[in-house]
Amino acid sequence: MTTTLTSARSAKEQRPPRMRRRRPGASPLTLLMLAIPSIVLIALISIYPFVYAAGQSVRDGSLISPGSFVGLENYRTILSSPDFWHAALFTVVFTVVGVFGSWAIGMGLALLLRTRVPASGVFKVLLMLPWIVPIVVSSTAWNWLVATPDSPIPLLFKLLGWGQPLFLADPILAAITVCLFKVWVSFPFMMLMTSSALASVDGSVYEAANMDGASRWQQFRDITLPLIARSTYISWILMTIFCVNDFPTIYLLTGGGPVQATTSLVVLAYRAVFQDFQVGQGVAIAFLMTLVLVIVSVVLYRQIRKSEIE
Amino acid sequence: MTTVSSQPAAIAALPRPRKNVRQRVSGGPERGQWLRFALLAAITAVVLIPVFVTVVLAFLPTTGGTTPTLQNFVDVLSTSLVGQWMSNSLQVTFVTVIVSVAVAAPAGYVLSRGRNRLVSGYSLLLFVIQSLPVITAVIPLYILFANVGLVDSLLGLSIVYVGTTMSVATWMMAAYFDSIPASLEEAAWIDGCSVFGGFMRIVLRNSLPGILSTAIFAFLIAWNDYLIAIVFLKSDSVFTLPLGLQSFFQQNTTDWGSVMAVSVLMMLPPIIIFAFLNRFFSVGGIGGSLAGR
Repeated sequence: MTTTLTSARSAKEQRPPRMRRRRPGASPLTLLMLAIPSIVLIALISIYPFVYAAGQSVRDGSLISPGSFVGLENYRTILSSPDFWHAALFTVVFTVVGVFGSWAIGMGLALLLRTRVPASGVFKVLLMLPWIVPIVVSSTAWNWLVATPDSPIPLLFKLLGWGQPLFLADPILAAITVCLFKVWVSFPFMMLMTSSALASVDGSVYEAANMDGASRWQQFRDITLPLIARSTYISWILMTIFCVNDFPTIYLLTGGGPVQATTSLVVLAYRAVFQDFQVGQGVAIAFLMTLVLVIVSVVLYRQIRKSEIE
Repeated sequence: MTTVSSQPAAIAALPRPRKNVRQRVSGGPERGQWLRFALLAAITAVVLIPVFVTVVLAFLPTTGGTTPTLQNFVDVLSTSLVGQWMSNSLQVTFVTVIVSVAVAAPAGYVLSRGRNRLVSGYSLLLFVIQSLPVITAVIPLYILFANVGLVDSLLGLSIVYVGTTMSVATWMMAAYFDSIPASLEEAAWIDGCSVFGGFMRIVLRNSLPGILSTAIFAFLIAWNDYLIAIVFLKSDSVFTLPLGLQSFFQQNTTDWGSVMAVSVLMMLPPIIIFAFLNRFFSVGGIGGSLAGR
């Protein structure tokens, strides 16, 4: 990049700028032309389906027939169904544990990796693996480790005298296992986000704090955290979106069971559409969830931008 | 923050001079270093148990015994469609990566250089789209694509993948472009270069790390996806690897040797790519990109 910088400069010096020519600049029209492929794609893949889904949610159609208009019937059915509220509760738990669990671990590792440690480059790559390995593969491995009473982890628990827990058959244990799995999958992303935020913190602030005799915890709480606050909020928002919309992590590990214990809203919507063929209801579930998520996201997004301007 | 964090080099920059100050406080750099090394090694070992298990089971004979063997790989490649699935996955991923970068790069340039209401509205739109669950989009798209013959087709799948990468890919490209001074292309404009020409010849040519970062992201989305594939693909000849792997579980008894062999084949490409290109991969820019405009 440096070479181009100098070559562009020298070219400029050799040829004096032709002043009669109007400086082109990026006109709004040119910018629009550059953005058009992406706008078309977004309109086709994201906006059109969303509008169509809004229509589907007030009809009783199936995958092949549009059905007839039923007004808010689908929404009424869903909102009065205990399954929906159970799934909503699980989604909240799953999201809170997923966001803050992966953040805490990611933050801890990012702080550790920032210090001088032998072979830290190797650790960085190895610790990214849970996020890089396809969920289909890692859920298979987790299944092998915990699914049956004779799997390695339950046997290990038995050996330690902690019983022989059925990790995926007991409702509460299954919920815990799925949340742990999500944290395992997501912490590398948080580690990356935090690492890059930490890299932008000016080191000299710590020297002053050291001289004042601030403890490490005080330095972390009063200097590091506030300095990377904005980046932290953004990583929370992104991870909230990832968690609420997550399907494979839950579906591939437990299928939403036992009974309904680990059914999130997305899994419930998927089941309604592809197993019960209640397209209207399935879309309505996803739509309600989306509405809440979009409102929350936009409010938070504006909050971040406001804090940026101030 | 935008400029600093958007440079992948910022992540790669590791040992920082100020650490010396801290280490002296915590009593001897040598001992502290190895303590942290041991701690990291222990955490990494625990975290990687599932990956380790997958690799070990793939090389263990299903008939019992502990001598490592390639028999599982030979079996799956000869008796199942794994070769075909792998080729399908590679095709879909390749198309997704190329198209995603080609579409996101100019859009990212607009986000990076354009400063007006329309551009910030576009930025907000990308953010809202990113928060839409794929499941809402999938059903209408299925119906739309069924009408034009794009269901059960790898092309249709690629189109949806490119769509799902759009927001993050655009942010990533924009974040990288932010680190390239606008004076570069302005100089080219004065020399009579068009805006598009300046973007292609000056900005894009200097953005290899940003392009690679976006490409890796698109690769992971396309290679790892399960939800979209399970809705859009019906016949096993067009399956991608995730669906292929799942199909092993539909039989009564799970043949763990075969399953893990396919798993290893499936996680190799992302691991190889990441091992070589990880220094280019930066998600920090997303944050700056989101809040910066």
